[in-house]
Amino acid sequence: MTQLSIDFDRYQLDNGLKVVIAPDRTVPVVATNLWYGVGSRNEPEGKTGFAHLFEHMMFQGSANVPKNRHFELIERVGGTLNATTWFDRTNYFETVPSHELDLCLWLESDRMGWMLPAMDQAKLDNQRDVVMNEKRQHYDNQPYGDWSERLQRLVFPKDHPYHHTVIGSMEDIEAATLDDVASFFETFYIPNNAVLTVVGDVDIERALGSIEHYFGDIPAGPKPPSLPGRTELEHVIGGTVRDLVVADVPLPRVIMASRIPPYSSDGFATAEVVRAVLGMGRASRLYRHLVREQQIAKSVVTYAYPLLTGASMLLMWGTGYPGTDPALLEQAMARELEALIDTRQDEISRAISLIETDLVRTLERVAERADLLSMFDLYFGDPGRLNQELDRLRSVTLDDVRAFVTNQLGPDNRAVLTYVPEGSR
Amino acid sequence: MSALDRSLRPTSGELRDFSFPQVNRVRLPNGLDVRVAQLSRLPIVNVSLFIRASEGALGEEHAGLAVLTADALEGGTTRRSGSELAESLEGIGARLSASAGWEGTNVGISCMADRLPEAFAIMAEAVREPAFPEEEVRRSLDQQLATIRQREMDPGALATEYARRSYFSADVPYARAVDGSVESISAISRDTVRGYADANYRPDGGGLVVVGDVGFDEVADMVRTHFGDWEGTPEQIADFTVQPASLKRRVVLVHRAGAVQSEVRIGHVGAARSTPDYYALSMANMVLGGMFTSRLNLNLRERNGFTYGVRSRFTFRSRPGPFQISTSVGNDVTDAAIREAMIELIGMADKGPTPDEVAAARDYAAGVFGLQLETSGQVATRINQLLIYGLDEDHYDRYRDDVRAVNSEAAASAAAEHMRPSQAQIVVVGDADAVAKPLEELDLASVEIVAVD
Repeated sequence: MTQLSIDFDRYQLDNGLKVVIAPDRTVPVVATNLWYGVGSRNEPEGKTGFAHLFEHMMFQGSANVPKNRHFELIERVGGTLNATTWFDRTNYFETVPSHELDLCLWLESDRMGWMLPAMDQAKLDNQRDVVMNEKRQHYDNQPYGDWSERLQRLVFPKDHPYHHTVIGSMEDIEAATLDDVASFFETFYIPNNAVLTVVGDVDIERALGSIEHYFGDIPAGPKPPSLPGRTELEHVIGGTVRDLVVADVPLPRVIMASRIPPYSSDGFATAEVVRAVLGMGRASRLYRHLVREQQIAKSVVTYAYPLLTGASMLLMWGTGYPGTDPALLEQAMARELEALIDTRQDEISRAISLIETDLVRTLERVAERADLLSMFDLYFGDPGRLNQELDRLRSVTLDDVRAFVTNQLGPDNRAVLTYVPEGSR
Repeated sequence: MSALDRSLRPTSGELRDFSFPQVNRVRLPNGLDVRVAQLSRLPIVNVSLFIRASEGALGEEHAGLAVLTADALEGGTTRRSGSELAESLEGIGARLSASAGWEGTNVGISCMADRLPEAFAIMAEAVREPAFPEEEVRRSLDQQLATIRQREMDPGALATEYARRSYFSADVPYARAVDGSVESISAISRDTVRGYADANYRPDGGGLVVVGDVGFDEVADMVRTHFGDWEGTPEQIADFTVQPASLKRRVVLVHRAGAVQSEVRIGHVGAARSTPDYYALSMANMVLGGMFTSRLNLNLRERNGFTYGVRSRFTFRSRPGPFQISTSVGNDVTDAAIREAMIELIGMADKGPTPDEVAAARDYAAGVFGLQLETSGQVATRINQLLIYGLDEDHYDRYRDDVRAVNSEAAASAAAEHMRPSQAQIVVVGDADAVAKPLEELDLASVEIVAVD
């Protein structure tokens, strides 16, 4: 049984920036990772997709860094970089040979403090086009590409921040202005709304000195406003809600989801264990019963979204064969949910063993370690939670699982999204 | 620290050099090449068994058989059912993977170090004593057929499929999908799979790579116990040469009514892994479309906003694989995007990269090499490459020096030799009603419109 022990130190600059430093000198590599406390949940009606578009604008330069220079400089030293936007946060990260740590700090601090002087209409027009092409490529031009949009609408009410997707709507992306960029930057991209984590081949004192040097003079901003819409949610959907889509898709697919306690609650560990018992690995219930034995599904997926606001979501999806009746597939999936009431201890142990190996594999990369430390600090104010992750799961009991199945996985808490290939009925 | 002048890029610290992890090696009498790299950062191990049971050795009528057989390994052994096999591995947190490709079959295990002896024994059992129950083989086959069906409706996969067929002559294995066709898969029976494994799951010419928190002696003992009495040479060995489908430029438009984007592939037959131009060509390609700040990406994405991204790539195999530019672009800019991509391709083939560009590519490739040796899986993949392509043992020790030795002349001459815009096969999957006419007006070649078959 692995006991995780990732050593780290934690600081806070005078401007409120939280800093986590975790040295690991076994490889000459360092990862920097910045989490900003802003995501698609902060977008009001009419501005969907803006947090993500803004993330693109962060690569368009800042006061001392011309457009594309950020990429050029990092690639030039043999580094990698990217950023992602999610419901509750946006992250920016670089991994570089360790002697180039200061380069990352300079680039990240310049855009945290002085992004706006570099903004202009041409850059916004360009990245709006890029993002609209991203949406077309990954959503509109893809079989099942609208599934997340449809599912979120079923699980979360119209006035809840998870009702809309991270990518947003074409109309809203199209309508974004430079004023939106400026006010979003001033509202959310402030040091007191961010966590900076550095992991890898560093000396703590030197790294901290550099961080203070580059980030120390960025002024703090006022506390960001509360979330738009309604953030408190009933713990269940209140029925079985459905969306049936007849579309140009190759195979029938049934996607089921239930509301579950938010990531920040104690109950979430149970959801993670249940999700793994149900669908992680080939000895999982769904794989064994639906894929191997009944052969009603070609593949199955389960996922517990780590979402913070009001409620989160447990996802289960089954893709059928060309001749599969989606109604039968749905029944089979629902039976598996109900049957979880008799979960055995050995199934929980198997699930935790797999999660353990996966987590240790994840931690092999300094970039992933940095990402997790940033997350635990931003979400829980405690990067050390990473070291307790496995214990948290190991403490889940059979009674917890039974209570979870009874309270969260019944027909009063189910969204069912069904895709049926055109011409098959 | 001195006062901060933000306009200046920070000076670099002191470079800390590193070496490729030390690899210990032993060749068993049965031909299995065993290589072990001990990494003790985390208590985890990655095992990868390579067998020369390859799709490249199969005729078109058996296309996909190696892939299916690898897949069907999860159906169980003579001692355990498929579910029991999964339970015995996952119960100790181990994951088994099995897949086949053009060069061979890979069976892998990833597990915590203290579970390695058990996991290793079960992996050996899965490879050496597969049962291939009728029911399980049938299921793997149905899954593979359904995967092919999914691919046929995915615009990106469809474009790659048509591109492959445009690049390679029909009798070259690389012209087909690595996992076969509906016809070839449908014809496979349980006995075909059984016969294939019996004849080809043999050690000679293969290798076993173990990377992670375990020592060489321990691995050597396990290997002798579980694979020492394994014998034989795979019966079917790849024997083909690569020919292009056409030396004339072509434009093929695969019509997908109502598509909101065009999937674009531009390419032709590329180069083999053994090409002496490997490094020079890799640098030239990096400048063309192998990194974010490549010519293609800066033009099509950052200057014009035609696409979310574009890249170019040489897929080096034991024989020349494809060279290909790929992107997805809006309908109204499909013609402009292809025009610009061709301008960049022609520019690279004719004039090559500038010295500055080559320096940037070199620095990127030499630097990122170290970043990609963090995990046991990454190191195992690298060592596997040595084995698969018969590269020198000191290949990775020399890697950064060999990269840094590429100058702009060498890169330009490699580009001129291996990038051939006049032979480019341009494949577009998109709405012909929206893009056919503008494509015709580009005057690259007459536009052949085809329906999805």
